[in-house]
Amino acid sequence: MNELFSKEKWKYAFYTVSHPMDAYYEIRHRGRGSVPVAIVLVVLFSLSFSINRISASFIVNDLNPLAVNALTELFSVLLMYLLFCVGNWSITCLMEGEGRLKDIAIAAGYALTPMIVCFNVGTLFSQYVTLDEGGFYYMIIAFGVAYSLIMALMGIMQVHNYTLGKTLVTIFLTFIAMLIIIFVVLLFVDLITQVYSFFYSIYQELIFRI
Amino acid sequence: MKMKKIKRFAALLMAAAVMTLGVGECVHAEELPYDTYTYTYWEDIAITPAAYVPNGSASGLSVGTTDFAEPQDLCVAPDGLVYVADTKNNRIVVLGADMTTLVRVIDGFDRDGNADTFNAPYGVCVSENNQLYVADSNNKRIVVLTPEGEFLKIIDNPQSEILEEGFDFVPLKVTVDYADRVYVIAKNAFEGILVFESTGDFTGYFGTIDVKITLWEKFWRRLASKEERSKQLLFIPTEFTGIDIDSDGFVYASNIDSEGVQGVRRLNPRGEDVIQKGENENLGGDLIVGMFGTYAGPSEFTDVVYRGRGIYSLLDRKRGRIFTYDKEGNLLYIFGGLGSQEGTFNTPVAIEAVGDMIIVLDAYSGTILKFSETEYGALINDAVGLRYDGDETEAIAKWQGVLKLNENNELANSGIGKAYLTAGDNKTAMKYLKLAMNRKYYSIAWRRYRNELMAKSIGPAFTVIGIVIILVLLYKKVIKNKLAKRKGGLAG
Repeated sequence: MNELFSKEKWKYAFYTVSHPMDAYYEIRHRGRGSVPVAIVLVVLFSLSFSINRISASFIVNDLNPLAVNALTELFSVLLMYLLFCVGNWSITCLMEGEGRLKDIAIAAGYALTPMIVCFNVGTLFSQYVTLDEGGFYYMIIAFGVAYSLIMALMGIMQVHNYTLGKTLVTIFLTFIAMLIIIFVVLLFVDLITQVYSFFYSIYQELIFRI
Repeated sequence: MKMKKIKRFAALLMAAAVMTLGVGECVHAEELPYDTYTYTYWEDIAITPAAYVPNGSASGLSVGTTDFAEPQDLCVAPDGLVYVADTKNNRIVVLGADMTTLVRVIDGFDRDGNADTFNAPYGVCVSENNQLYVADSNNKRIVVLTPEGEFLKIIDNPQSEILEEGFDFVPLKVTVDYADRVYVIAKNAFEGILVFESTGDFTGYFGTIDVKITLWEKFWRRLASKEERSKQLLFIPTEFTGIDIDSDGFVYASNIDSEGVQGVRRLNPRGEDVIQKGENENLGGDLIVGMFGTYAGPSEFTDVVYRGRGIYSLLDRKRGRIFTYDKEGNLLYIFGGLGSQEGTFNTPVAIEAVGDMIIVLDAYSGTILKFSETEYGALINDAVGLRYDGDETEAIAKWQGVLKLNENNELANSGIGKAYLTAGDNKTAMKYLKLAMNRKYYSIAWRRYRNELMAKSIGPAFTVIGIVIILVLLYKKVIKNKLAKRKGGLAG
């Protein structure tokens, strides 16, 4: 546990931001990454996303702060993260990807670092801007999102040892896989409910008759 | 002994309960049959104090004639008399300004020696030049009379090549501008409002509402064959429902918008829509509407009244509500409702303004319902009116009065915020403009306040930085000296 959360591991997350290609290679082959750090980064991302939506200055933020629920957002972000990792893993297993589930989780989690930084910087900066300077705020946010997307792309590419084209194809397939997983889960839940209600009605019949 | 104590306690409790209930009843004594509300920036409903309260009604019987039978329109003349188009009784009834006296009944007129009558007069209007225009719907003509009922002229049978072959002219609503041009809403005239010159010549259509076809509908029409297309519904523009005119000759016309986005138009003399929309780009009445049932769906405006100083009110027949907007398209207040209590409508068809009062004609019960403005309504009307006149400083006192009655009124907060901004109190301006969710002016106030802060703090900031630099330099020198001394000491 200590080893997974060590200072080295944290520093490595920032090294990944500055040298994505090399770092992702070492994550895959030299075990430099850490899944707990990745999960903490996902939670941090969710928090900074919610904080940005709630407390960015209303000059640049057209959201009703009362309509934002940080807890629901945290759960949905974690769920999406899990879905993406599992979806990507199941697709790349079939497409000769070299990455393990662990590597995918680390690649996706570490890729969120630029967004965490930029969302928080943006929230602070938004307290200072006027309407005319709002463009700078949107630039900060857009920069964070773009950097994260590029990092995620590089991460998936390096971890599985893919070409760029193949990475794009697998990411597209990953989204389809995610949809299928959601569909299957919903179907399963529905069936379970029906089975449950079946047994429950038997139970009720018995109760009323005995 | 103990029992007695309990009994006494219970009695005390009862007395207290009765007292509190009694007080509560007092508070709710003047309960209205409807809520007055508005929509906030976030498009939530905000209940406000009442802007208008029911103030009696008038019917045919109450003024001393037979009851109205499905009256369809009413009009307030420049001299204050109220003209009612009593459609099913084929007559025009003229009431006094206070709607308690009968002035006269016009049930026919003498046309060049022949007695003539109306057949379902649907619309009525009195021009600025004091001439009475009656949309005599089943006789397919507009009859122009003096207010006393003397025949002046008839406008009928419009001739033009833009009219369809066999066009049936059935006028429903009519209004007249300062130059005696006549604007007529006719049945099945989907191309817009018919305009007649003062001579009675038809000049053309006016203010056509564009047909809206969604992308989806276009896609399906593209897929359909010619035969299928001919069987589909035609895309027909919606008709206008009510009409009014302001002193500059701009026509306000209401229509039923199935999307609930724009239910009123302000048409310039060329027939172009020049209405101003508010922040949310909506002039369609209720923003929150149900999805199912007869009570659901967007508001259906059946009439409009221009009330002066840029303020106009719209009458919604779906839920019996009256929506009031200002010149900039801000929603001021909403009140009214359907029902059978006093002050509610069954089939509201026409709305007019008499001084401070709003009057609404109900076709089903044949009554005119009167609503008088409250302190809250008067303050809003005055403040908006003063802003329309360009007298922002005078408006502030009114807005402050509004805030005392409803501290969440966004328009009032915005008005006061702007005043503080003009006065140079940027920090207070920011507070009010944020409450008003006025992004544009808040941004201006914040920029000025930021500059103020910077101007104030730039001197001290530089002093601090200067002192720090000097200290660092001194410190370095001291250390160097010490090192040099130590070196020297070592050397010595």
